[in-house]
Amino acid sequence: MKFFQATHKFDHSWAQVTAANWMKYPNEQCPHVIAVDVLDRHVDPETGVLRTERLLTCNQNAPALVLKFLGGSTLSYVRETSELDPKTKKLTMRTQNLSMCNVLIINETVTYTVNPQDESSTMFKQEAQIVAGSALSRFSSYVEDFCLTRFRDNAAVGRAGFEMVLEKFKAASHEATSQLEKATVATAAAAAVNAAGASL
Amino acid sequence: MSSSIGEKCTNIKQEYDSCFNSWYSEKFLKGDASPECDDLFFKYKDCLMKVLEEKKLDTLLADARKDNPFPNASSSSSAPSSSSSSTNSESTRKD
Repeated sequence: MKFFQATHKFDHSWAQVTAANWMKYPNEQCPHVIAVDVLDRHVDPETGVLRTERLLTCNQNAPALVLKFLGGSTLSYVRETSELDPKTKKLTMRTQNLSMCNVLIINETVTYTVNPQDESSTMFKQEAQIVAGSALSRFSSYVEDFCLTRFRDNAAVGRAGFEMVLEKFKAASHEATSQLEKATVATAAAAAVNAAGASL
Repeated sequence: MSSSIGEKCTNIKQEYDSCFNSWYSEKFLKGDASPECDDLFFKYKDCLMKVLEEKKLDTLLADARKDNPFPNASSSSSAPSSSSSSTNSESTRKD
């Protein structure tokens, strides 16, 4: 088992960051995320927390031969559950891969909170747990190290991409939502947040 | 806007996404949590659930929910009772 942790500060308000977060895909930096579906969503009547459950469908990057060996298909699936509290201004998103679990399990938790030192910026925290599945238990240490490195690289790319999305989002923040979506599509996004698990 | 896993659901999904994104920024974050996109969401979900069943992803998701449940809204039922009772087509066997 390996752990990955990263923090980052986005120089955008929590409202902007969380709004942009819903519009992250599709984008050029994460072409492997081919579909995003909302399975369930509601506002908790007691707490006011917005809960969302989504399914991400991704193209596997792995070579066909590897997939054949591992018995996987060319598509992989990631389930994401999130809780967004508008009062405390905290968004927590948890993701886990649904497919290829015999090969690798990645549990990721990401939070977006208001920066207590500067309310116009947002703190991002990312934690992931990487476990080689039973199919690869003999090689678990190697696989986990490999994936950790890959995850770290993806995370950095993803954050840089999301910064670009946010810049466009901010510039367009007074325009119609559809305009914002176009801006999001045109650039990159936080690949790592949801897709790192899927892209491995 | 992102596509749906089911091609035929993409249009209604994107309609729903547009509605949700406006609602999120213009209502929800301003303190108004009353729902506005439910009709679109139910239409979209109807379409999506059929696709998930076809692709046999409903069982995969049900398993994932056992480990990491998704809390229900207090109004909805506590168990995702899917259509397990529909055995309507008895195939006629000819030897």
